[in-house]
Amino acid sequence: MSSLVASLALQNLGPKVLDWNWISRNFSHEIIPAIIGHIYLSFVSVTIALVISLPTGIIVSRYRKAYPPVTFITGLLFSIPSLAFFALLVTVPGVGLGPRAVIIALVAYSLLVLIRNVVAGMDSVPEETKDAARGMGLTSRQILFKVELPLALPVIVAGIRIATVTIIGIATIGAYISGGGLGELIFTGISRNFPTRIIVGAVLATLLAVLADLSLLAIERYLRPWARTRRT
Amino acid sequence: MDSILKVFQRPDFLAQLVVHIELSVIALLIGITVAMPVALLVYRSRLWSAVAINTGNIGRAVPSLAILALVFPLLGFGFAPSLVALTLLAIPPILINASTGLRQVNPQIIDAARGMGLSNGQVLGHIQLPIAAPVIFAGIRTSAVQVVASATLATFIGGGGLGELIVLGFQRNELAIQLGGSLAVAILAIITEVGFGLLERAFTPKGLLVTSNHRSK
Amino acid sequence: MIEFRGVSKTYPGSLHPVVNDLSFEILDGEICVLVGPSGCGKTTSMRMINRLIEPSEGEILIDGEPNTAMSGTKLRRHIGYAIQQIGLFPHRTIADNIATVPQLLDWDKIRIERRVDELLQLVGLDPAQYRGRYPAELSGGQQQRVGVARAMAADPPIMLMDEPFGAVDPITRNRLQDEFLRIQEEINKTIVFVTHDIDEAIKMGDKLAILKEGGVLAQYDTPEKILAAPNSEFVSSFVGADRVLKRLSLLRVSDMELDSTNGDGDDLPRISERTNLKDALSELIGAGAERGVVVSNGDGARGTLSIETIRRLSHQAEAEQRYE
Ligand SMILES: Nc1ncnc2c1ncn2[C@@H]1O[C@H](COP(=O)(O)OP(=O)(O)OP(=O)(O)O)[C@@H](O)[C@H]1O
Ligand SMILES: [Mg+2]
Repeated sequence: MSSLVASLALQNLGPKVLDWNWISRNFSHEIIPAIIGHIYLSFVSVTIALVISLPTGIIVSRYRKAYPPVTFITGLLFSIPSLAFFALLVTVPGVGLGPRAVIIALVAYSLLVLIRNVVAGMDSVPEETKDAARGMGLTSRQILFKVELPLALPVIVAGIRIATVTIIGIATIGAYISGGGLGELIFTGISRNFPTRIIVGAVLATLLAVLADLSLLAIERYLRPWARTRRT
Repeated sequence: MDSILKVFQRPDFLAQLVVHIELSVIALLIGITVAMPVALLVYRSRLWSAVAINTGNIGRAVPSLAILALVFPLLGFGFAPSLVALTLLAIPPILINASTGLRQVNPQIIDAARGMGLSNGQVLGHIQLPIAAPVIFAGIRTSAVQVVASATLATFIGGGGLGELIVLGFQRNELAIQLGGSLAVAILAIITEVGFGLLERAFTPKGLLVTSNHRSK
Repeated sequence: MIEFRGVSKTYPGSLHPVVNDLSFEILDGEICVLVGPSGCGKTTSMRMINRLIEPSEGEILIDGEPNTAMSGTKLRRHIGYAIQQIGLFPHRTIADNIATVPQLLDWDKIRIERRVDELLQLVGLDPAQYRGRYPAELSGGQQQRVGVARAMAADPPIMLMDEPFGAVDPITRNRLQDEFLRIQEEINKTIVFVTHDIDEAIKMGDKLAILKEGGVLAQYDTPEKILAAPNSEFVSSFVGADRVLKRLSLLRVSDMELDSTNGDGDDLPRISERTNLKDALSELIGAGAERGVVVSNGDGARGTLSIETIRRLSHQAEAEQRYE
């Protein structure tokens, strides 16, 4: 049994599986654009999501009653499987196939994590600190921008990190509704039974996600010096 | 609306729903069976739990479509390869949460337990696991929701499941099938989320839910 | 009886022992306080008794038997254990926390229930009210009480207590100390009590084992003897510059030989024979008098006590002091 699997795997992993010729031939006009398209989709989505989540999070952290319904709705959005979400979105008039539907879905997916972390970040600012700022005569607007947001930043960045990684992963599926990106390579690879495309797409998407994860983690650590100095 | 309801009466709808649930349940069960013993092995050691948690984190970063797609050239088309991919997806959240949850238990509580003569097994079973249970269940819940969602993608490597209907709808350009499949998947995912949320609460010991202004320090 | 015989502990990877050649005996029914500056090895010494830590050298005998005669877990079920951070199990009710060891020892349900209520009563918590609560629903001081009750649950002849009243405010601590001393009168356990607070040590201990850095036993004796005659610079400075006054606080007016009343005395301050000498001295100085009339409960004058007597007593002790 196991030898059967092994021989199957070996057979499949033979020289034909990874066609280096194809990779070098298509590197500049297919692979690079796919990478760029993928980064574009993810970046635009996280940016839009952030523009929505920051004010929402700040407001919700003040008006606590709004928090449960906000997490409920965004949580509902978050738990809809992406293929289903895409399939539902493309039927909406004015959306249709293409990057627009993908971006809408990706934004929707980011909201829960981002808002939750903005609120957690604002909550992490000690009441004494805000009190001290008030005592020094800062206006509430100044307190927000000079005290609360800077102190909440590491937690917010942690949220951006989780959202980005999630989105890079889900964006691959967006190719199914013509969103472009690395998923394109995977889907055409599957439909033409051409493993090289699949592997290139999957490996690059993974690399992109892991890289985004690690670099945002580095930023998060940098912003949180007290966690960095811990001795091992 | 009527046409969507008709989708739910199609014989292949029920069949794919069953496949979807089978894929998810089996992958989750195997995932738990693999992740829990590993967590129990590593949590005592700072080094090994760091290894497990970081591996889990990287595993979580891998896109689910990428895992399914990579399994395909290795193991081919069908139910079993899909199951392998979904199991791989199920493991990281459980592994991460179980390892961190067990490590987070206050060392003083463990010391008190050992000082009163609980054996290592009793400390684990009576003290650490119950206290870590909410965190472990949160991991299982994340895992379950992710597996149910990713099972939708199994259709791309011939694994079946409700994704089959969505894809069918696209191919035939039949809106009703596309919407019916999507709605069914969404509802299944939300049921999973809510159901495991309830389970999580049920497994959280009452004493851990109590918050009070009395807490010392 | 607990006997340390040449016990040393060196942690792996460390060059110096943190407990060094410790030898002393703790008698049955006594509270022995291990006291000393932070990091001097008090906790380590205590944890070697119930084998949460194994000594590198030497052995510890309990009632003449090496504590290695039975398995660690079995040993620990017969030795009470209470720690500063309390370590109550947050997921179990107060009753279940207290019942931990009795359950391990397979007591029957009714006996456990009765024991839990009895202990809650003993530490001053109303069983009906607190039995079913969770630790998070108790104040710090109440949690400490439960910690002590839990340690006593299976009525172990020996109890180990590591700064059991460390995590509460001074007023609560004082009350818990008094309560515990009252409880000890009833239960008469052999208790090893760790603290870094010399005042707590003097108050709680029948014997003090003063440890210094590197886990060396500096002096082992009753608080009175140690205060009267510290055997080294270290002990003398550890017990504090006010050790003469501390010692006076251990002695009662009723323990003193009194002068006769001599007929005078109506204008002298009155001192109850149950006050300690430190407070008596304070009263005399405060009243601007050289002597006071000692009265017993029934208001009968027993004699007079002069500042001079107290001074002589303190000076005598000071003269006895000889460093090695
Ligand atoms: N597990 C360990 N490994 C290595 N060194 C240890 C360990 N536990 C304690 N030590 C060291 O042994 C010394 C004695 O520690 P111990 O906890 O016995 O001190 P202590 O007298 O109880 O101090 P404190 O009053 O602060 O509680 C300290 O220097 C401590 O750093
Ligand atoms: Mg200590």
